[in-house]
Amino acid sequence: MLFNSLPFFVFFSVFFLLYWFVFNKQLKLQNLLILVASYIFYCFADWRFLALLIGVSLLNYYLGIFIEKTESPKHRRWLLYIGLIQGAGGLILFKYFGFFVASISLALTKLGFNTNLDTLTIIIPLGISFFTFKTISYLFDVDKGKIEASKDWISFFAYISFFPTILSGPIDKAITFLPQLKKERTFDPHIAFDGLRQILWGLFKKIVIADSCARITTQIFENYEGFPASALLLGIFLYTIQMYADFSGYSDMAIGFSRLIGINITKNFDFPFFAQNIAEFWRKWHISLTAWLTEYVFTPLSIAFRDYGKVGITLAIIINFTICGMWHGSKWTFALYGFMHGLYFIPLIISGKLNKKKKIPKHQKLPTFKQAFNMIVTFTIVMLTLILIRAETVTDAFHYFINIFSKSLFTIPYIPSPNTDSILIPTVLLTMVMIIIEWIGRSQNYGIEKLGFKWNKYLRWGMYYVIIISILYYQSKGGDFIYMQF
Amino acid sequence: MADILKQLNEIFVDLLDDESIVLNENTTAEEVEDWDSLNHIHLVVAIEKHFGIRFTSKEIQSWNNIGEMIESINSKN
Repeated sequence: MLFNSLPFFVFFSVFFLLYWFVFNKQLKLQNLLILVASYIFYCFADWRFLALLIGVSLLNYYLGIFIEKTESPKHRRWLLYIGLIQGAGGLILFKYFGFFVASISLALTKLGFNTNLDTLTIIIPLGISFFTFKTISYLFDVDKGKIEASKDWISFFAYISFFPTILSGPIDKAITFLPQLKKERTFDPHIAFDGLRQILWGLFKKIVIADSCARITTQIFENYEGFPASALLLGIFLYTIQMYADFSGYSDMAIGFSRLIGINITKNFDFPFFAQNIAEFWRKWHISLTAWLTEYVFTPLSIAFRDYGKVGITLAIIINFTICGMWHGSKWTFALYGFMHGLYFIPLIISGKLNKKKKIPKHQKLPTFKQAFNMIVTFTIVMLTLILIRAETVTDAFHYFINIFSKSLFTIPYIPSPNTDSILIPTVLLTMVMIIIEWIGRSQNYGIEKLGFKWNKYLRWGMYYVIIISILYYQSKGGDFIYMQF
Repeated sequence: MADILKQLNEIFVDLLDDESIVLNENTTAEEVEDWDSLNHIHLVVAIEKHFGIRFTSKEIQSWNNIGEMIESINSKN
């Protein structure tokens, strides 16, 4: 049941009516409705793991309460370890175990040993990477006394399984989410309309941009050896756009649907293509994951390594980003992707520019030459590294990368397929439209948040209709969300 | 207490290169521009060096505001 599907539209409409018209001002019932709806939504995605989701919620709910009640630091630590073992254990079992077995088997075979270790195929529970990070941060925060353990099981279970975010984030922290479930929510048409506008922009990015890019990038990546270098460069450029439009589009929709029921969800993207260096890029890309890793991985590591100056910071960043890469799944390409991003921080650490933030004032109409140059360099680095996320193996990624640097880079990027040829130019033009709109709205929460507020009312509504028509025009062509596989 | 706060203020101004910083016991990281996770480590190292003390990892991660940081410093002197 994807956000951009008819079943979800029907599901959300029924939920919305019950939430605001039947259970209005009945806080407990509204929270219970969120929980029931979340479980129904999860069952549509993958009913086989509903029991796991409930079990994880139950265990962490009681662990939170016990950690808070326990005075002995040693016993608290043990309770925390149970939660960590469950969280990390679940991830390792479902996401990484098959990969470890296959890697060990391959290594032993290469060393001349005959192994009978079968490669395991384990089905990954949808959303496990997202809800596990929620439970781990919750227990850490209860242990540190940053939040009170939840004693309201409905709210806590609803937090873990919250349907707008369970499959692809943002990874909201309990500290910001749970207090919202304690407050009475009243329907505010301004907030609801803002939510709808954010959903509209998310749909535009997903359906019009990401799905169009996907039709071209699939052709190029699946047959990359037959394409000229210019087409390979175009392929990875469009894949970078696709990745952003797909994931930030999903996040915009998740935030928008939450706004419609009066709940604020953390921001996940802050116009990352306008970042001027790699550190700024990671402050703007998948913010909820990087914030989580910063708090629970980078900070403890950098504290432990603080006596080693720049070497310590470098090490903490490299480990942090390798984990960030591995979070996406059990493939060497993902680990290398994270490791490479860690390495890109080294020039910034050595030059002492890591924490120098370069803000572009919001009234500035165009970037300066230097700002534009920095943005293009950052984008290019991010783009070339994304080959690792798209490619099946490290060898494929390496070949794709090497093939870009050949004489055919200076040819017209011809793609010999009747399907892609006709959509290439519209896709590139629509991408430019998206980038320009996001540049104008870069100081807001999402691209069209305040776009057209100073225009004539009819002109602004005309813009909304153009977006709606373009979504409907492209809708029939379909496409899954990339981040659901992680 | 006031003396430690004054010294901390000087360290913050110096390290974050921002003359406008005025700390009080309730100041949190969100209220000071540029006091991010990375600068936090630099600040910790500078504070430890200045006061000749050593914090534990748990202490560093438990502070919610400047007041709690000062309490940790006080407990070591």
